[in-house]
Amino acid sequence: MSHLLELHGVSKRFGGVQAVDSVDFYADPGEIVGVIGPNGAGKTTLFNIVTGFYAPDAGKINFDGHNLVGLKPNQITRVGISRTFQAVRLFAAMTVLENAMVGQHTRTKAGVYGALFNTRNTVSEEQRVHSAAIESLSFFGERLTPRINSLASELAYADRRRLEIARAMATEPQLLLLDEPAAGMNPAEKEGLIELIGRIRDEKGYAIVLIEHDMPVIKGVSDRVVALDYGKKIAEGSYDEVAADPQVIAAYLGKAGSEESA
Amino acid sequence: MNLRQSLKPGAIGGIVVVYLSAIGMVERFQDRNVITGLVGLGVVLMLTTYAITAYTTARKSDQPLWTGASVGFFAGLLVALVTLGFEGLINAGLDVRGMFVSITPGLLETLEFGLDPAVGALVMVLAATIIGAAAGALPTLSDDLRSAIVYAVTSTLLMSLGEPILRVTLGNLNLPTAWLYELGGLTIPGLILILVVAFGARWWWMSGAEARRESKAHMPEGTRRTWSRTSLFLAIMGLAALPWIVGPFVSDVLGTVGLYVLLGLGLNIVVGYAGLLDLGYVAFFAVGAYAAAIFTSPASFLVTEEGQTFAEAGFTNLWIALPFVVIIAVIIGAAIGAPVLRLRGDYLAIVTLGFGEIIRTLVLSDWLAPYLGGAQGLTRVPAAPPELFDLRNPQHIYYVILIFGLVAAYISYRLVDSRIGRAWAAMREDEDVAEAMGISVVRYKLLAFAMGAGVGSLGGVFFAAKIGSIFPNSFGLQVSINVLAVIILGGIGSIPGVIVGAAALVGLPELLREFGEFRLLIYGAILIAIMIFRPEGLLPNKRRQRELHEGDGPAPLDQTEEAPA
Repeated sequence: MSHLLELHGVSKRFGGVQAVDSVDFYADPGEIVGVIGPNGAGKTTLFNIVTGFYAPDAGKINFDGHNLVGLKPNQITRVGISRTFQAVRLFAAMTVLENAMVGQHTRTKAGVYGALFNTRNTVSEEQRVHSAAIESLSFFGERLTPRINSLASELAYADRRRLEIARAMATEPQLLLLDEPAAGMNPAEKEGLIELIGRIRDEKGYAIVLIEHDMPVIKGVSDRVVALDYGKKIAEGSYDEVAADPQVIAAYLGKAGSEESA
Repeated sequence: MNLRQSLKPGAIGGIVVVYLSAIGMVERFQDRNVITGLVGLGVVLMLTTYAITAYTTARKSDQPLWTGASVGFFAGLLVALVTLGFEGLINAGLDVRGMFVSITPGLLETLEFGLDPAVGALVMVLAATIIGAAAGALPTLSDDLRSAIVYAVTSTLLMSLGEPILRVTLGNLNLPTAWLYELGGLTIPGLILILVVAFGARWWWMSGAEARRESKAHMPEGTRRTWSRTSLFLAIMGLAALPWIVGPFVSDVLGTVGLYVLLGLGLNIVVGYAGLLDLGYVAFFAVGAYAAAIFTSPASFLVTEEGQTFAEAGFTNLWIALPFVVIIAVIIGAAIGAPVLRLRGDYLAIVTLGFGEIIRTLVLSDWLAPYLGGAQGLTRVPAAPPELFDLRNPQHIYYVILIFGLVAAYISYRLVDSRIGRAWAAMREDEDVAEAMGISVVRYKLLAFAMGAGVGSLGGVFFAAKIGSIFPNSFGLQVSINVLAVIILGGIGSIPGVIVGAAALVGLPELLREFGEFRLLIYGAILIAIMIFRPEGLLPNKRRQRELHEGDGPAPLDQTEEAPA
């Protein structure tokens, strides 16, 4: 009965804005959940709450037996949640390989002593970090592996998106949160992304939650779709059910003039 | 067309020459021989202005050789004309000596190259146009040739300007100097020799560069490691031999440079690796110096039950005190780090600036005067038992600083390439994302402050031991700024950069002493020039260089691509 990730009545208010309003949410291993909603619906805020960047005003968050409320982002990464960012945020001055190696941080433990004296443990740990980073990069075929020594800032846009996902995968998560992974991609790249997300789920067995504005992508990957509007969950179910929901249609149509088309 | 292109730079160059003349630099520098009996430094200053003006004018244009030369020709001509115009005004009776006391008959003589006014004017025009044309042609030459010429000319200048040190150095090595130097300048044979050797050496180096890069790329890992270890070993041997070659005076300067290397390596961990802009780094320097003094000075408040100081009772000498000092500094580093953990960027800089001032005010305060000596400072810091090293001897303390500098460099080198170094780099790039990747920002910030403090305190300890007494005014904001300038100048995040930066920033003013009141003017101009032409620093780490020159290559941002297969 208990899910991998479970949110009960999570709320968050910024001044006069109720960004997230008692949302219940869950995700299970091997499941891809799409989160949709107009801009400002509270999708990214929800991610920020789950990953510990914001503390919820109310509600419970459980993940794999841990209570996440009150944990810091780095602790949440350690228990197995990893994320990407809406605007690609790579470590621009680090190489592709190093970006992925940073992802291994919580899975390793070398300290000052190990670093200074280059102990046998440190050496073998560095080798493990290296091969784990290579492994997550090679998930993207020939996209990233030939460029492991390029700076992240030297990559093409779509490769930056891929590297961000590879870096998140290098943390060895059980749950992967993707914040608008298709933003800025052309249709062919979106096709590739749909295939990729499915492959991550199939091969890694992660639970994947993605926020996306692009409906074909949501339709293509999601097992289940959750729609938010004004911080409230207004619909949940299969893509077809949610897309047919009058409240969802109203939420989108009501703002059609000012929003990007969905 | 060429004329118009040269107009503005030529006028600026002319104004520069007039300015340097009016403030007395040209005349004053003329007393210093560069090539004895031929060229003084004042004239070199003018010639350099011609060359730089012509070079910068021609560099903007992508032209054949003769165009570059003619652009340079006109630029040089203009500089000369502006100078002559100025000279003419003075000769015609324009009296500006109320403002510019340095405009003297001696200056005019220099501007006339010590010749008859008409001949002097002719010589100036000739010199300016010839040098202008040559410098203007420079950008159109092949890279190898240009580089070799620039090297030959700058080597000559450096060899000549370095005469006071080089002559002593050669003397210490029992080498004859008379053939090279005469009356503070180069001899003609010396000049020719340096030009030929520098040109030839650079030419040879440049022409072999491609082949070397090729062979380096194919070198097996083991050979490469042997090579880099050998060169590191040779560099350390060279550093170790230095004090005996250069003599006590320069050794003393080297000791000061070494202190700044220590401080620079420490701050480099905080700013260069972890990206925490600390403007109060002097605090750790002060902690090191004061803690060392308190543990070892007979004037210390720290006494045993019999009323002896720790040093007198035989508890401590500098070597025993050293680890305790470092531990104290590490604790204080973490303590200072703790309240600023939540701050970023500019805010962090301001708060650390405040901490630096707090430490200075504390050591100066009457409240702590019974312990820290207040304005009188702490005196009689003993220089450790002299069996091993006599720390009052500049040549000895140099070695101590060298050893600890190497230790600090090793620590930096190991840390930056480890899991810790990666965590710092990630934090420096984007704190939020670093946290999302599982890095405890709190922990790694504190670690950076603590490591930086520990290394910086070593600088303080040897400062106290070197000087023998410490006063609050040695621990002002200026130290923090200097250390920051050392690492920026050398190249942030680069260990060799810290060494070169410290040598340039601390060594240069010492070497410029003979220029008296113009010292800081030259120094400032050099710093500005370095930062304009090498914003990444003198010896940057490769990555930062790539980052700063990203715009030079094709921009990757707009690239689109097909979907992955």
